Parts: sequence; C-alpha cells; structure tokens
Amino acid sequence: MTQRRSHILSTTKKITELIMEYFSKAWNAKAEDRPIAWVTVFTPVELLYALDIYPIAPEHFGAMCSARGLALDYLEEAEKEGYSQDLCSYSRCGLGYALSGMNGLMPPPDFLVTFRNSCDVYVKWWQALHMHLKTPLFIGEAPYVLASEDLDNYVLDYVVKQLEQIIEMAKERFGLEFDMEKLVKIVELSDKASKLWSETLELRKYKPCPLGGRDSASDIFPLVVMQGTKEAVEFYEELLAEVKERVRKKEGVIENERFRLLFDGIWLWHAFDLIKYFEDRGAVFVYEPYSDAWAYRMDASKPLESIGRKILHNGLNVDIDLRIDKFLESIKDFQIDGAVLFSNRSCKSWSIPQLVTADILNKDFNVPSIMFEADMADPRQYAEAQIKNRFDAFLEVLSES
Amino acid sequence: MYVGIDAGASATKAIIINERGMHISHAIVPSGINFKFSSQKALRKALKDAHLNSGNILHSVATGYGRALIDAESTSSEITCISRGVHKLLPSARTIIDVGGQDSKAIRINEGGRVLNFIMNDKCAAGTGKFLEVMASTLRMPIEELGKLHLKASNPVKISSTCTVFAESEVISHISQGIKIEDVIAGLQDAIAERIYNMCSRIGFAKDFAFTGGVAKSQGFVEALSKKVGAIPLIPEEPQIICALGAALAAIKKHKEK
Repeated sequence: MTQRRSHILSTTKKITELIMEYFSKAWNAKAEDRPIAWVTVFTPVELLYALDIYPIAPEHFGAMCSARGLALDYLEEAEKEGYSQDLCSYSRCGLGYALSGMNGLMPPPDFLVTFRNSCDVYVKWWQALHMHLKTPLFIGEAPYVLASEDLDNYVLDYVVKQLEQIIEMAKERFGLEFDMEKLVKIVELSDKASKLWSETLELRKYKPCPLGGRDSASDIFPLVVMQGTKEAVEFYEELLAEVKERVRKKEGVIENERFRLLFDGIWLWHAFDLIKYFEDRGAVFVYEPYSDAWAYRMDASKPLESIGRKILHNGLNVDIDLRIDKFLESIKDFQIDGAVLFSNRSCKSWSIPQLVTADILNKDFNVPSIMFEADMADPRQYAEAQIKNRFDAFLEVLSES
Repeated sequence: MYVGIDAGASATKAIIINERGMHISHAIVPSGINFKFSSQKALRKALKDAHLNSGNILHSVATGYGRALIDAESTSSEITCISRGVHKLLPSARTIIDVGGQDSKAIRINEGGRVLNFIMNDKCAAGTGKFLEVMASTLRMPIEELGKLHLKASNPVKISSTCTVFAESEVISHISQGIKIEDVIAGLQDAIAERIYNMCSRIGFAKDFAFTGGVAKSQGFVEALSKKVGAIPLIPEEPQIICALGAALAAIKKHKEK
C-alpha cells in the first residue's frame, strides 16, 4: 500500500487555538463572577449568551479529552463512584471531571441546563451533576417531532414557554436582565454561521472532495458551543473561502480519489487516525449526517421561536424515517460509493437506524456498507486490529465493484 | 508454484498450489504469539511435504490477522480470500459462513465469486472458535471431543448467555446439577449456531451455502448449524485452509499481472 498525501485545510488547523481561547474565556468569565452554564448540546446556547451566561458542553469536553488521550482518568473516576461502564462515555467523562476537582479546561458550573431532546441519558446525567455539585438545574422537555416542517403550535409554544422560564431563572438566581435586541443579534450570527457551514458542506459534492473527515470532525466545534458568536462566523467565513479556493483549483483532500464514503455516527475521538487510514487507501469521507446535524437555519425576526424550533428539530429528536430519508438523499447527491456505519456503544439513539439503513443501501441502492462496534470516547471498547481488518475487506469489496 | 498463507488468530495455514490452482500441499500450525515464526514453520512444512524449496515459489500472498507481519509479496483480506477459495472448490455456493478462531463471518457472493455483501461478528468472542476453545478447556477435554460428544446428546440444555464468561459459569452450573456433559455441549453449540444464524440472516441466505473455517471440522457444530438453517452446508474436504487457498489463487493472479 502506498501512503498518500492528504491535506488538512489550513483553517482547520486553527481550531485548537479557537478552542483554547474559548475555554480561557470561560475561566475569565468565572473570575469575573459571570455565571457558567454546563449544557448538553442542542440546548439554547444563543439564549444563554444573550443572558451573559457562558455555556460549556461537557460532551464536547469528553470528545476533546478522548482525542488527547485524557479520557480514561475521568472515565475511571466516574466508574469508581459506581457509574457503570455501560453508560454513555461522555457522561462518565463529565461526571468523572466533576468528581475530581474541576481543575482542567472547564470551570465549575453555576447553572446546569439540559433538554430532553436527544437521549435519555441527558436528564439522568444532569440530575447526577446536580446531586454532586448542588448547582441550580433546569431540565427542559422537547416532544418528539413526527413530521419534518410543520410543528404543532402548542408544541412550539410549550418549548418557548420553557425558554421564558430560563430567562426568569437567570433573573431570580443571578440577577441577569434579558435583552431582546441582544438576542436578535446573536440569533443572526448563529444563523449566519449555520448558513456558511451548510454552504461549505455542499462543496463536498465536488470531485475531488475538497474537505475530508478530519476537517469536518474538527470544524463543527464552533457550531456546538459558540453559536451566536462573532468568532464562529469569522471562522466559517475563512473556511468557506478556503474550500471554494480548493474547488476552483480542483484540489482534493487526497490525490487520486478512488472512493467517496459516508461515515455515520459520532467520530471515534480516540482513534482519529482511522480517517487517515481510509485516506491512505484512496478513500475519502465526503458526507456525515453528524457534521450536517450542526447547521440549523434560524429566523432572527422570531428569535425565541427559532431557538425553540432548533431544540425540537435536532436530528435525534425527529422521526427515524426522516433521518433515514435524509441519509439516503445524500447517497446520490454526494455520489457515495460506500458507507461506514459506526455502531456506538455510547450513543444508541444515534445507532438505532443503522441496520435498517444498511439493508436499504444494499437492496435499493446497491451501495456496500460496513458496520463496526466501538465507543466514541472510551478507548477500552475499541479492538483496533479487528476493526481495521474489516475496513480492509470493505475496501477490497469496493475495489471489485 | 504459488503460496497462500493465512495467519489466523488461532492457527496459521500455508498452502501450495500449481498454476492451474490445483492443491499440491498444505500445513496447519498453531499461530502462537509470533506470526512470522508460525508462518515460516507452516510454509517449511508444506514445502517439505511437496518436496519443493522456496526457489520454486513464484508469488505468495498473505491473509488473516497477522498478514502484515509475515513475509509475503502481497496481502489480501480474509473476506476476499475465503470467497475466492470457496468459489474455486464449490462454485454453486452463494452464501458462505466462516467460523474461525476470533471471527465469524457471513459472505454473499455472486456467480462469478465476487463479494456482494459481508458481515462479521461484533467485538466479542461469543460465536467464534474461541468460545468453543474456552468451553473445551472448562470441560477439560480436547476441542475435537466437543463435536463427537455433541452427537450423543439426547436432551440439549438451553444456554441463555451469549457472553463467553457468563456462558462458562452457566456450563459449570449445569454440570454441577448433574446434567449430562453431552447435553451441555450440544446446548453450547446450539447457542453459537443460533448466534451465527442470526448474524447471517442480516445479509440473507442464498442457496447454496458453504461452511468453512476451523469450526466447520466439528461434526456436532455442523449438525447444530444445519438444524438452525434448515439446510445442509457444503463443506470442503479441509475447511480450515480455504482462506489460504484464496490467497494462493490471488498469488496466481498477481503473478500474471506483473
């Protein structure tokens, strides 16, 4: 096998700095006595920024720890306390951090905010944090969405009312005033970042693909916890410009693109070199439902309603058929040759449709797929030789078809 | 001559074939912890049996877990090799079940032997040869005995756990309750057969189905699997070397391409 040169975008390389800056700002906020909220992803980050509450997502922290080989200490810390290895590894990582002094990247929280809109673990995890840290807790409810666009008014009203409760809580607990104009500006920025990211992902339809898995896995970060910030918009502007330039020059992630693949699932943060493993063999990831999940267009003229829709419409809170439809749409649009399906021990709500999807891909699309089991953040659940062995076989099947 | 070496998790297999793909000799040795050593040993043995030396080898292809660690001119994955090997010997087969030391696999191939789809066991050892090895050692008997004793079973027990560790304690508990050892063994093999059948159902059974890998040598297990599938599998004379055969066939192709 010949090692291929693969190119990470230079904008992607700036992400580490952006993350470090984001966390140091969090510690600055803490020093200035501005409240820190620990949030689950797909919570109203824009609203928190508008209230001058600094949001941090322990899920993102778990991914980072895992990528840097630091997750195990926190995982074991949580397990010592009795949290089962069968629990989501992000939750164990976050709880382990909370139980071990919170002296790392994340400042201790003053507020815990979650919505029941992606998985059941969120609620129990946040309750456990509340139990250990005695920090004020807000748990929102988001009813499951069965149809794609038309939300029943009462469903949306229900979520918006809960957002108003957060505003009240911020006033009561922290004496913070809500400023609608500020929120409007933040929602505008959030929408802008989403729009730029969507446009960037669209450019992956080009052959050769200008942006690969190693880029998309890192580049989502500003849309996870920095929605509504200027910095996020600037980052995506720069990224889009660079990707456009690559398209213009017909420059791909790898030279001689042989296979265009779809990756389904959260990335394996501790085994990030897997993406390179594919690239070295001429296969590039051109689409991931996970990367797509972070872009959500908002309407600044209706800021609270727009945030409510975003909470409701996240990919894990909608009917599975809608998810599968979107998945299948990408097969043609992105000219996918094969799909890699990561059955994640930690995230069943993500992995559930995979068997059905694999079946449809095979029967209706004649697109081969490979499924493997591991964990996104817990390196102990990863059998490298066995998994790479399967990938080799999969790539051979692709070469023959 | 052409060589295929399959460095598997439990056993290393070497096969020598001629330019028409005819079997000349083969050897099977335990893999141990050093694939390089075991593959050399297997190849030496096969060469000796065929009264050949390494100078007679035109091309060699390695497959199996240890393929990257051994001396061969090129490598190929087990899925492709098994399919190629089966297609050569049993051209009517469209579904292949292969149960080896660490993996079990189900493969669908077309009339040309090309892989259409495949599936492998998840990360755990249940449903693989390793499971049977562990159980044989728990029962203090050589693994070959499992297959023979299975055939004597009259009333197989139900092993409910598919986890190797839990199944082991289940076995011990059945034995201590005085259940006949052959009934426990039959229960164990039924449990694996069921697991493999379920896995295979995900890619769909197409007739005919072939059964390969070291575990296909166990008569008892073959019976358990046939019962579950409702059809009798096609089994090559030496099911354990099919993957190596596929590698050797690939060696012919590679040599021609040179």
